Order: sequence, then structure tokens, then C-alpha cells
Amino acid sequence: MSIEVKNLIKTFDEKRVIDNVSFKVEDGETLAIVGFSGSGKSTILKLICGLLNSDSGEIITSEGDIAMVFQYSALFDSLNVSDNISFALHERKDLRNKYSEKEIRNIVSEKLELVGLKGIENKFPSELSGGMQKRVSFARAIVTEPKIILYDEPTAGLDPISSTLIEDYIVRLKEETQAASIVVTHQMSTIKRTANRVIMLYEGKIVYEGTPEDMLMQNNEYTKQFVTASLEGPMHIISEN
Amino acid sequence: MGSLQKYYKQSATYKIFTGIFSELENFLDTLGAITINGVDTAKFIIKGQIDLKEVCTQCYRFGITSLPITLSIVGMTSVIVASQVALEMVKQGGSNFVGLLMTILIVREVGVIMSGFAIISMIGSSLASEIATMRVTEQIDAIEVLKVNPIKYLFVPRVLAGIFMMPPIVIIASAFGVITGAITAKLTSGLSFMAFFDSAWLGIYMKDLGVCLLKAIFFGATIALTSCSCGYYAKGGAKGVGEATTKAVVWSFVAIVIWDMIFAIAFFF
Repeated sequence: MSIEVKNLIKTFDEKRVIDNVSFKVEDGETLAIVGFSGSGKSTILKLICGLLNSDSGEIITSEGDIAMVFQYSALFDSLNVSDNISFALHERKDLRNKYSEKEIRNIVSEKLELVGLKGIENKFPSELSGGMQKRVSFARAIVTEPKIILYDEPTAGLDPISSTLIEDYIVRLKEETQAASIVVTHQMSTIKRTANRVIMLYEGKIVYEGTPEDMLMQNNEYTKQFVTASLEGPMHIISEN
Repeated sequence: MGSLQKYYKQSATYKIFTGIFSELENFLDTLGAITINGVDTAKFIIKGQIDLKEVCTQCYRFGITSLPITLSIVGMTSVIVASQVALEMVKQGGSNFVGLLMTILIVREVGVIMSGFAIISMIGSSLASEIATMRVTEQIDAIEVLKVNPIKYLFVPRVLAGIFMMPPIVIIASAFGVITGAITAKLTSGLSFMAFFDSAWLGIYMKDLGVCLLKAIFFGATIALTSCSCGYYAKGGAKGVGEATTKAVVWSFVAIVIWDMIFAIAFFF
């Protein structure tokens, strides 16, 4: 077991965003969390990585680092690619004196090579395309050899080819690191290409749990509506109250 | 009962009191946040957890980039005051006191408070908008996920830069203010530089210089801490960044005026 979420509840301004959610993700497994915007997907990631505290419930993670790839990359504008990737190695208390500058340079090149971007160490985030920024944020996330990787809409806003490239890197990183991964996404291609299992959230509750293949079979009313992008179905984007 | 409550909630009295309490809540929230961040920043500084390279970068930003605007504001204020009082004082036979008055005014108040205002508008707003942008683009979340303390990384170098750079800025700006005051007095009233500087030293004591430097240190720390804190809790997108910047400027202005009043009461009452 690498991530276990038990009876998680999170409320914002009296609205229950996460309502008694439980699931597990094993090492080397990728779980996709899908659902409409505002269904609580990103909140779950923020609860797992400690950016938010839950109202009740339990999150048990195996020992080791948790990495997160943010929706809009969240690279540090004022630092170049190399400094972005080596940020934790320079600034984190337990890692600061662990590596020499030469070793850090080697680690940065190795991680950049892993995401197919060797040789851009001195560029700044503003000089990179959206897809390249996303890949640099992958490199930054895996620099501490995390046991858990969380992806918040990794292919949002990218063209189909860049999305495919990012999806391939998600699979590759999972194979190389054997980390437990959670991918929050809306995109069917990302679900199909990266996930071993899928859970679907609606109004903070899990309304479907299964494999991507089963989801596409459309046996569930919720997944059917999601896959066919229909306005008709049990899910309503505009809240009645 | 329900309709009574609905009617009551629509009343002007309810809206006025809700507005007042909401503003009071915001005020206390901001004050609490600045205090907590200040304590955390002080803890890191006392423990010596300081990134010297980043402190130097922020010192350059705080001191060098803001110096032209600070000198302009202090210099122009000095010209305005000197042009108002020099001629009148000379006419009334008080030419021996023009330098004294100008120097007391600049060293005790104008130099430090005008430098503070210049630093707020130039550096405080820039710090707040920078950190607010980092907040709304999830860069601060990324720092936290990478297990680096954002207070240590963002606040400590900026607050230290404020503490280190504000005193030299105030000294340079005050000296510049006295010189522009002397030039203005000569041009408007014909008072010689000799007469101006002969009396300039009479009313200035070591205590004045000490209090001036102490104020500069407090102002520098307050501006940096307030601006960083207002940016740190920004919410939303571009609007949130704008609101955080405005809040940082307003709070910093008010804070340094309060400090100035406290210093005036403590040392000159």
C-alpha cells in the first residue's frame, strides 16, 4: 500500500467538497480521478500532499517524498530551469549538504534527459512552451525520488500531440520510479493511456470505481454521461441551490 | 419569524453593522497574519537560517533600485519646505535658524518618513505583487510540496534586506535633503551656505541620529514584512494580486506612521 484514504471529509464555507471518500493506490499503480470541475478532484490531491488539512478522515502514505505536478506547472519565474529542478536540493534542510554542486548538475541533466529536454538548463520558464514547462515541472517533481506522484490535470491546455507526449512521460515515470501515482484529469486520452484504475467524483462522493476499459463500456449512468459529454444524466453542472 | 429575519437582514442597520464587523474581522486577520509571519521570520533569523546570496539580491533590489526615487522625493520635499520658510525667516531676522530648522526637520522626520513612503511605493508594492503572483500561480504551493519553508525562503531575505538597506538609504537621503535645503535657501533668500551650515549642527545631537537610524530599521522591517504578508495571503487571479498590492501599500503607510508616532512619543515627548 502506498496511499490509503479513509472516510475523508473536507468542507469549504459550509459546502462539503469531499464527502466520505475512501480509496487505495498501490506502488507502481496509477489512479485517475475524474469528474466535473469543482467536484473536489484537486482538493483530494492538496489534502494528500498536505497543502490542506481535512475535517475528518485519514490519509496514510508510505514513507518517502510526495511530489506534485501542478496544473499550470508552477515553475519559479525568477529561477532558470536548472535552479527550478534543483530547488529542493539547494533549499531543503535535509538535502542541502547532501550533494556537491557537480552532483546536483548531473542530477539536473539526468532528470532533464528523462523528460526529453536535455540542454535547456539555462533557459527561464518564460522562454519555454506550455508542454516544455510541464515537462520541466515533472523533472522538478522527481528530483527527490518521490514514492508518490500527484498530477493535477497534467494535459490541460495542451495540444493533442503534446498531451500524448506528457501521457507517455507519466507512464515512463511510473515504470522507472515504481511510484504510486494519482492523475486528476478530464481528458479521456489521459485516462486511457495512463491509468490502471479510475474513480469518478460527483458532489464530493465517489460515484464510480473501476478500470478505464469498464468506464468506456458506459454501464454506469455517471460515466456514461461523462464519456458521452451529455447534458442529460444524473450530473448537473449548475447547482440547484 | 422567517420573514422578520429576512426583513431584518435587508435593513440598512444590519448591512452597516455587518460591513463594520466584516472590516474589523479583515483588519484583525491581517494584523494576526503579519504578527505570526513576523515571529516566524524572527525565529529563522535568530537560528541563523539565512540564504546570504538571496539576502544580497534583495539588498540590491531594496537599496540600489529605489535610491533615485527616494532621493527625488526627499530632495523635492526639502525644496518645498525650504522655499516656504527660508525667505520668511530671513525677513523676520531668523536667518541664523534656517539651517537649524531644516536639519532638525529632515533628520528627525522628513528624511526617514519620506524615504519610507518612497520605499513602500517602489519596493513594498513590488514585493507584495511578486509574492501574490507566486501565490495565485501555485508557486508557493510548489515550495511547500518540495518541503521548503516559504517563510524562510521568501520572508527572511526580504525582511533582512529591509533592515540592512533602510538605514543607509535614510542617511544618504537625509544628507541630500539638507544639501537641497541649503541650495533652496540660498536661491530664495540669499542665505549663504556658511550661515546655513553654521546653524545646521546646533540642533542635532547623537540621540537624533540614533533615533533616526532606529526608525529606519523598524520602517525597513515593517515595510518588507507587511508587503510580503499581504502578498502571501492573496486569493484569486489578477484581481487578487491587485488587492494584495493595494493592501500592502495602505498597511505599510499606516504602519510606519504609527511607528513614527510611537518613536516621537517615546523619544521627544
